[in-house]
Amino acid sequence: MNNSPLLKIEELRTYFYSRTKQAFIRSVDGVDLEVNKGDTLGIVGESGSGKSVSMLSIMGLIAARPGIITGQVWYQQEQARINLLAGLQDHVQVSKNDGRIMSVEKTDLAWQRRLEKNMLGIRGKEIAMIFQNPKSAMNPFFTIGHQIVENITRHTQYKSRKEAKERALYWLERVKIDSPQLRFYNYPYGLSGGMCQRAMIATALSSEAKLLIADEPTTGLDATIQARIADLLEELRAQTGVTIVLISHDMGVIGRLSNKIAVMYGGRVMESGPAQAVIDHADGKSHPYTEALLKSIPREDNMSSQGHLNSIDGEVLDTINVPRGCRFASRCQRINKSIEKMCLNEEPPLATVSDGHKIRCWHFAGV
Amino acid sequence: MMVSRSAKPVVLYLTRELYVTFFLLIGVSLVVFAVLYSAPGDPLAAVFGGQVLSDAQREEMMRNLGISNTWYGQYWSWLVKLFNGDFGTSLRSGQPVLGEVTKLAKNTFYLTFGAMFFSLMIALPIAIYLAKRGTDRLGWVLMMFAYTTSAVPLFWSAYIVIYIYTRFFNTLPIGLATGESMNFTQMMLPVFMLGLGSGIISETVRFLRDEISRVFSEDYVRTARAKGVSVWKHALTEALIIPVSEMIASKIPFVIGGAIIVEQIFNWPGIGRMAWQAAQDRDYPVIMCITLVTALIVRLTSLLQKTLYVIVNPRASQETKTS
Repeated sequence: MNNSPLLKIEELRTYFYSRTKQAFIRSVDGVDLEVNKGDTLGIVGESGSGKSVSMLSIMGLIAARPGIITGQVWYQQEQARINLLAGLQDHVQVSKNDGRIMSVEKTDLAWQRRLEKNMLGIRGKEIAMIFQNPKSAMNPFFTIGHQIVENITRHTQYKSRKEAKERALYWLERVKIDSPQLRFYNYPYGLSGGMCQRAMIATALSSEAKLLIADEPTTGLDATIQARIADLLEELRAQTGVTIVLISHDMGVIGRLSNKIAVMYGGRVMESGPAQAVIDHADGKSHPYTEALLKSIPREDNMSSQGHLNSIDGEVLDTINVPRGCRFASRCQRINKSIEKMCLNEEPPLATVSDGHKIRCWHFAGV
Repeated sequence: MMVSRSAKPVVLYLTRELYVTFFLLIGVSLVVFAVLYSAPGDPLAAVFGGQVLSDAQREEMMRNLGISNTWYGQYWSWLVKLFNGDFGTSLRSGQPVLGEVTKLAKNTFYLTFGAMFFSLMIALPIAIYLAKRGTDRLGWVLMMFAYTTSAVPLFWSAYIVIYIYTRFFNTLPIGLATGESMNFTQMMLPVFMLGLGSGIISETVRFLRDEISRVFSEDYVRTARAKGVSVWKHALTEALIIPVSEMIASKIPFVIGGAIIVEQIFNWPGIGRMAWQAAQDRDYPVIMCITLVTALIVRLTSLLQKTLYVIVNPRASQETKTS
């Protein structure tokens, strides 16, 4: 039982129907991921790579019309292993060859109901989530204390107001908010961004969820605050043993916190594996996209000859008309004559290069 | 310092707003007076049963009655009396105006707020349905219903309803003013008609639908969903309480306007019908008093709405405290 991962995502697809274009936008297009207990999985990728959407899908936070989700998300509860997306496939037509969503039932009501039913007892209780822009992600009409207490009475054994309040104060202290007794009665607008993010972390953890999904928790905060929030997350993980999925476009934050990394591009996982193996990109040992991402971290040795920071040329993938071949091919620097044909015509498989380290690239497929 | 929800910012806010209300009412009375003064028709002639008076007769009568020649003189004497609690006497009935108006204002109050309530009872479910489900087949029907009720003019639909009512019940659904005993449906018919026909349903539906869908896509509502707690509890304040109170406050003048027509048609003894009558009789003191009372009702409603807003919105109460 210990061996089975806490969260196993198989063939997750999240499409959005665009009315104006009369086509599906394939935001997440067949994602497979595993998160083991106690791990911190960092998902990295540029905007539009589908990293946020895939995690929102796991929580069922994609609303039907225009969104639609299929695939399996196996969540390991104490006794049973449950599929969070069970039954959703019944309402969609899926292509037999490649599993793409072809069409959706006319009414998505049943789909939405099924999703809500699946998520009952999972959201908040088993999987908690924190978001970016904490000030808008906390309810401006309720006090911080209220929002934590609400989570505690709902999901834990502390049901009475007094107990729940004590517990909330305990969590406010855990996330190192100064004078929690006062902050308890504050509204979100009265707190700074960093403070608000701490309050949100306290809220999320207060339900004693086993998995914490952090959706760009440091984005939009000052650089110094970013580092402190990252440290706090790391500290809390070490203390509580909570499993974390960290979404970020910031390689720095990802490298600092996670022991596993998944790199996403165009709705697909391009590379995944232990943090060390992924980050070590010398001599073309990692995916060209990962390499390009790592080369665009603001650092002295990443400066180009003109003194600019390296960047990835080209446009973000068009997720409506997804190319036949490798999704990154049009922007790839390491594409060469010998494999060009493959790159443009056939999507590479996720090849295992070393223990747990997988790369989706033709450079590695043959090896 | 501990920040608690004390009533203090609200009180502070209200006192300031009441000052504004005072000057606002003075302004309203001045404008209405100016309009009445420059309007054709002679109130003195009305007093004397519609005789045409010669200039000499008028001069003499005005001197006898102590009426000033100038408009500001006349306004001033009205205003001084007003501050002594005297709204003057009706030119038509000879009764003190204030007593009559307040007696009838009560009926208009029931009519307008009853109609408002009825409109909201129809508009709210439609708005929620449209916000949650979008314009599907039922949604389309509901929306068309809302638009149709608002598009049909009240003076026409009210007569149609009276016609239908008399066909099926063999009585007229009117006559509250005549003191006949009436059953509940008869009493409620004007309220329903005003609620349907005052034109606020479609606007309420549109406004609320947009507000609800906007609030439900707010980040904090998504957070509530991710927490597995009641989404409506989190969205309630911004998606319903604030927009509904705004809607009531901003639409009450329109409903009062519609009440004049409904009171006329259904013989409802309210100030709308009284104002209509007074306008025909050139009964200036009555018109002035009704205008002031109506302005006061409108103003108080919007004050109430703003107070509510300050109470439910912690941020707003913070702002009023510091400003």
